[in-house]
Amino acid sequence: MAQELKSINLVAPAFKGVNTEDSPLAQDPSFAEIADNAVIDKRGRIAARKGHTVVTTNKTVLGSDSIRSIKEFKDNAGNTKVFSVGNNKIISGTTTLADETPGSYTITADNWKMVNFNDKIYFFQRAYEPLVYDTTGGSVVKLSTVTGASAAGDIPKANEVLSAYGRLWCADIANEKSVVYWSDLLIGHDWTGGTSGSIDISKVWPDGYDEIVSLAAHNGMLIIFGKHSIVAYQGAEAPATMVLADTVAGVGCVDRDTVQYTGTDVLFLSHTGLKSFGRTIQEKSLPISSLSGNITKDIIAALQTENNFFRSVYSPEEGFYLLTFVGQDVTYCFDVRGTTENGSYRVTRWVSTGFTSYTRKEDGTLLIGTSKGISEYDGYQDDGSPYRFKYYSPSLTFGDSSRIKILKKLKPTLVGANNATVFLKWAYDFKSSYATAEFTVGDQITGFFGVSEFTAVEFTGGALTNQKSLNATGYGTSIVVGLEADIDGSQLSLQEINVMALIGKLL
Amino acid sequence: MSLLDYLLQPEVAIPGFLGGLLTAEEYNRLSDIGEEALVGTTVRGREVPGALDIAQMGLDQTQFRPFTVTTATGGQFGTQIDPTTGQFTTTLGLSPQEQAMQQQLFGGAGQFFEQAQQPTTGREQEIFERLRAVQTPEEQRQRLALEERLASQGRLGVQTAQFGGTPEQLALAKAQEEAQNTAAVQAMQQAQVEQMQQAQLGQQYLGASYLPQAQLLAATQPSQQLAEFQSGLQQYGAGLFGETAMSGLEQQLLMERARANLLGQVGGRMLDKAFTVPEGGGSGGNILEDIIGGARGMFDNTREFFGGLFD
Repeated sequence: MAQELKSINLVAPAFKGVNTEDSPLAQDPSFAEIADNAVIDKRGRIAARKGHTVVTTNKTVLGSDSIRSIKEFKDNAGNTKVFSVGNNKIISGTTTLADETPGSYTITADNWKMVNFNDKIYFFQRAYEPLVYDTTGGSVVKLSTVTGASAAGDIPKANEVLSAYGRLWCADIANEKSVVYWSDLLIGHDWTGGTSGSIDISKVWPDGYDEIVSLAAHNGMLIIFGKHSIVAYQGAEAPATMVLADTVAGVGCVDRDTVQYTGTDVLFLSHTGLKSFGRTIQEKSLPISSLSGNITKDIIAALQTENNFFRSVYSPEEGFYLLTFVGQDVTYCFDVRGTTENGSYRVTRWVSTGFTSYTRKEDGTLLIGTSKGISEYDGYQDDGSPYRFKYYSPSLTFGDSSRIKILKKLKPTLVGANNATVFLKWAYDFKSSYATAEFTVGDQITGFFGVSEFTAVEFTGGALTNQKSLNATGYGTSIVVGLEADIDGSQLSLQEINVMALIGKLL
Repeated sequence: MSLLDYLLQPEVAIPGFLGGLLTAEEYNRLSDIGEEALVGTTVRGREVPGALDIAQMGLDQTQFRPFTVTTATGGQFGTQIDPTTGQFTTTLGLSPQEQAMQQQLFGGAGQFFEQAQQPTTGREQEIFERLRAVQTPEEQRQRLALEERLASQGRLGVQTAQFGGTPEQLALAKAQEEAQNTAAVQAMQQAQVEQMQQAQLGQQYLGASYLPQAQLLAATQPSQQLAEFQSGLQQYGAGLFGETAMSGLEQQLLMERARANLLGQVGGRMLDKAFTVPEGGGSGGNILEDIIGGARGMFDNTREFFGGLFD
């Protein structure tokens, strides 16, 4: 007697992102085993990320190097200028990159941090005299050359700088790993007069010793990140009288460039994953929640093997926090719009992007630094080339891991993916050899009212949905279903995958 | 008749010879009286001083007589005259206890004056250190309390251009510096007060060291009055003695001169009679005897007077 096909509908698969922490068999199908070059789109579906469009047309000053950091300068008069660093140079511009390195100023490293402060942009890097630019001067100069500035020897050559509470704050100085300096009020070049000062927190570390990695400002507090501890000072508006508000032992920050503000939280990468301060006003304390709980081991592994830069960016427009391990060319994309049951952000992974730096402009544009110059996070090509979107489900047992499942059909429902070639893959019993079914999505160009009607395309209501039905082969007790596609100019969202299988005998 | 024959006539020679003897006797007596008035004589076995002796006796009697005053506490005030030079000296002698006290007071006065003359810098430092020794423990407690408070607030390492450290540290340091400044000023003032006190004490000690001497001098005042009174009496007695002695001498001189004059008158008359030829041719022998007898009685009376004076 013929057995009934059992239909298992994976609706909005992987909308909870990647989960490599839980057992594959016990996982919710809402997680994904792999979600490369993917994001969680606005409807909560897993979708291909956007690509990047290189806006730089002349990158002579950059040579073969990559943009290591980008920052948009904006003053009160509305003047803007994009600065970046790379190839041991201070660079300005986005289309044509111009060398802004001061004369007789030798740079041998590109780990600059740039901050806007009081109509100026400041450049800080360990062991280098800070630089400054403003519209009036029109050029990047050494900080000590500014009228009224402290002597070069008195200006901290810090690796971390923060603009907050009307001052510049800096830390992570060679041989002064526990000292935070702050400038005079509203005067970023005065580090010895006025209300400037410093605080040595070597006696404050909860673990007895630590080194400052990063600084952050949040809700009147100065947050000092050590490598494995955090110290928060309340009342940083008046640094001479600010007092210790809280200390956290065992959790620190890996790199200053992983710290991002989300408006209500401060995100940072610790040695155990992405963390945030979720602050409750009533408790006046700083509970820390783990935001990368679904990929903790992956993050730790990436941390341990990373030998280059960390870069991050928060984009409220895109609703994600990107964390890039530059040396490994891996970026984790944390969707900050919500968390899973365990309090973690939904996360996807971007691989082989070549992204080396980010910044978010005032208008919300996300600028990306690569070896090709400066790009915008836009479109669905990486500088005109396609990139591979991957989705792999966790092992599916259909509720009974003791019975054999015989796949009959796979019916993916895709949104977008105009003319894309889609590879649907499946494998049994944790094997890495996948069976593949390939199909090409038809023309999915949308025709908008008043734009395309009666002309090029048929009038549609937006992104088109495409549903295919593919025959599957093989059997096993657990099934992994995957979908890969080269994203080449069109968005792709995975609405659902309908898996139809026969349930076989008990093993 | 020749002159010689005339002179050899008995009635001429005898009166003439006697008259001449009497006149010579009177001359000699006058000479002796003057000499005896100066150097003295012996009357009935008693030596009668002359004017020179009386003057010497008066000088001796009116000379200052040294005296010594001894107080009830053992101090002595003495007067001496150097027998050789006649220099008049006085001595003040204190009792051993008074001398010891005086030396002690002198020494104290010297020490106080010496201390008063010393620069006050060292004393200021001593006073300042003592004041600081009192203030330091509390300051240390305050410093430690602030340190603990700052440590609890995680602010031990704060350094500011405006305050140096934290505002609290500046306030504390300022207060402590003010306390130190106040202590320094107080130390200076106290050192000056002590310097003044030492000078005053020196003066008091110095004054007190002369107190035994002053008391000794004060104690000699009654004795000195007595000595002056005695000296007055002595001078009065000497003067009285001299005047009396000299009046006796003058009296004797007058009487002796009267006797000499009488003797001279007798001798003169006899010589005159001798060289005057009586109308009757004879001489009156009774008159010569009367003259000689009268002169002898005058000398006897004079001797009795001086003998009675020096008995």
